[in-house]
Amino acid sequence: MKLKQTIETALAGLRSNRSRSALTILGIVIGITAIMLVMSLGAGAQELVLDQIQGLGTKTIVVIPGREPKGPSDFANVFLDSLKIRDVESLQSKSNVPFAADIMPVIFGTAQSSYGTKTYQTTVLGGGSAESNNIIADIFDIFPSQGSFFDTEDVKASADVAVIGNKVREELFDSVDNPIGQRIKIKGRNFKVIGVLSEKGQVSFFNFDEMVLVPYTSAQTHLFGRKYFDRIIISASDEDKIVQTVADIKDTLRENHSISNPDDDDFFIQTQVDLAARLSTITTSLTWFLIAMASIALFVGGIGIMNIMLVSVTERTREIGLRKAIGATDRDILTQFLLEAVFLTAIGGMIGILLGTGLSFIISLGLSAGLGLNWKFVFPFSGAALGIFVSSLVGLVFGGYPARQASKKSPIEALRYE
Amino acid sequence: MPALIKIDRVSKIFGEGETKTIALRDISLEIHKGEFVAVMGPSGSGKSTLLHILGFLDSVSEGSYVFEGKDISAYTPDAVARIRNERLGFVFQAFNLLSRTSVLQNVLLPLRYSSVPEQEWHERAISAIKSVDLFHRLNAEPSTLSGGEKQRAAIARALVNNPSVIFADEPTGNLDSKSGQIVMEIIRRLNDEGHTVILITHETYTAENAKRIIRLKDGVIESDTQVAQRASLEKFSK
Repeated sequence: MKLKQTIETALAGLRSNRSRSALTILGIVIGITAIMLVMSLGAGAQELVLDQIQGLGTKTIVVIPGREPKGPSDFANVFLDSLKIRDVESLQSKSNVPFAADIMPVIFGTAQSSYGTKTYQTTVLGGGSAESNNIIADIFDIFPSQGSFFDTEDVKASADVAVIGNKVREELFDSVDNPIGQRIKIKGRNFKVIGVLSEKGQVSFFNFDEMVLVPYTSAQTHLFGRKYFDRIIISASDEDKIVQTVADIKDTLRENHSISNPDDDDFFIQTQVDLAARLSTITTSLTWFLIAMASIALFVGGIGIMNIMLVSVTERTREIGLRKAIGATDRDILTQFLLEAVFLTAIGGMIGILLGTGLSFIISLGLSAGLGLNWKFVFPFSGAALGIFVSSLVGLVFGGYPARQASKKSPIEALRYE
Repeated sequence: MPALIKIDRVSKIFGEGETKTIALRDISLEIHKGEFVAVMGPSGSGKSTLLHILGFLDSVSEGSYVFEGKDISAYTPDAVARIRNERLGFVFQAFNLLSRTSVLQNVLLPLRYSSVPEQEWHERAISAIKSVDLFHRLNAEPSTLSGGEKQRAAIARALVNNPSVIFADEPTGNLDSKSGQIVMEIIRRLNDEGHTVILITHETYTAENAKRIIRLKDGVIESDTQVAQRASLEKFSK
């Protein structure tokens, strides 16, 4: 029998048992749907995270106070006050860290901001530099849509000036056309608004729309009353120089803090490249873990297929006997039943791909709209290919035994079967 | 002219030890082209086993079977399937039509396993269906056919590859006498047209359509006689 005939025969066999065929593939549909969902959402999460990280620029190096957390229960809550202005000054020295392009200390906290009777809970970020005017724009890639950033003079003078995020402007100045020059109160102290940021959304886990930027000197002395920093952000002059710069930073800080053993470090360093790699590892391993779970669904689905195919083979014993009596070879029967199983599972796989794609698209919309994340729907081509391949494979593997049983039936036994 | 079918000292043994059953003992037999042989005998006499062996559905335990001059032990399983497909046609007591499949599709089935070019299939199937006078039920499914119509569809299926031998295993067993008569008329006509027919029956009046009657009992041939006076067709409608 030619392959074309066998295919037609197998399809006819499936058609004459529509509802059973539909129920049989349910396990495969669910398994492939799960795989598609996991791969699509996994890829979406990865894109989101990478997007956030890359908002900071790949040349960015972040120095964080405290001991590096080594495990989930390690909260690294010692030495949180280790980064001081002296460290910033040492790092600024070209003899210590020759390839540092920008260095910015950062201090942050939450504070209530108000204008007139309106108040809004904001994140205050103290930043800037006593040496470079455009450092905030350089590092975070954000720009004021109105007014300007504070300059080195403001930083040196601990000036009470603020640049506000777009959302903050909407909340506090909804009835004011131009907030530039107005005074807002942060923690009861007056700050002059000198700039408004254009709408930006999340950049590396900071939502600049809800933020008030002030010179770090004013944040330290006037708002938070502390002498240490929460981060020192450094950008290397070139991506090739990141490793060198990280080493230089470590040497400089260890010397400043009189640390000889690296295990005693009271700071740790994250590069954006590290972070991207680490997060990508996490999402990838999570994705594969979930795929492994979905594979169990596929396995169970496969056993379901095998079960139904065995029932079908028994039920169609007479048909098999007849086909043999009129000239079907063992191979014809084997191919017919194998193809039935493969068609079943492949159809299940295709339905699963459509369903999984649809569901993950809806979830993506939900995540974007509901949680305000910049979540992009990703169609996982590899997942779709994998889905078709795996579901067909399930058919071959789990349909193989029943098909073999069918092909080995002797025609007279089969014809005698009642 | 050499025999179409020649079996020599054939035995068929089922089971072993205490469950051992000898279905056929040392049977030798020749059937020539164009014969119409009825095999009769009580149940358990071995007549079905004989038909299965002659029809390539079962193998012999001992002895030899030469079909069209060639010993069947020389055939591969695929060659056996090809002989069943091209040289033999089967008509069963239980019809064995595929359910939820039209008469036309049922009759097309042997062609699908054959080497006949696809463009000839339809014409051949239609001609076979017309020869059993079932053209008006071409697209009917078996569940809507009467018993006689089902058996006629099955005969059309057996005919479609123009086999040299037609095996009929109690073809009238599930039919009323009128339908049975029509079926036997068709089978007689096929024999008149040159097909060799081997018929199994336990009904004497059905066997009397044949030109030769072989009686089996306990696995041996009890008698093998040429029928001098074939039954007239009217005898059915008694």
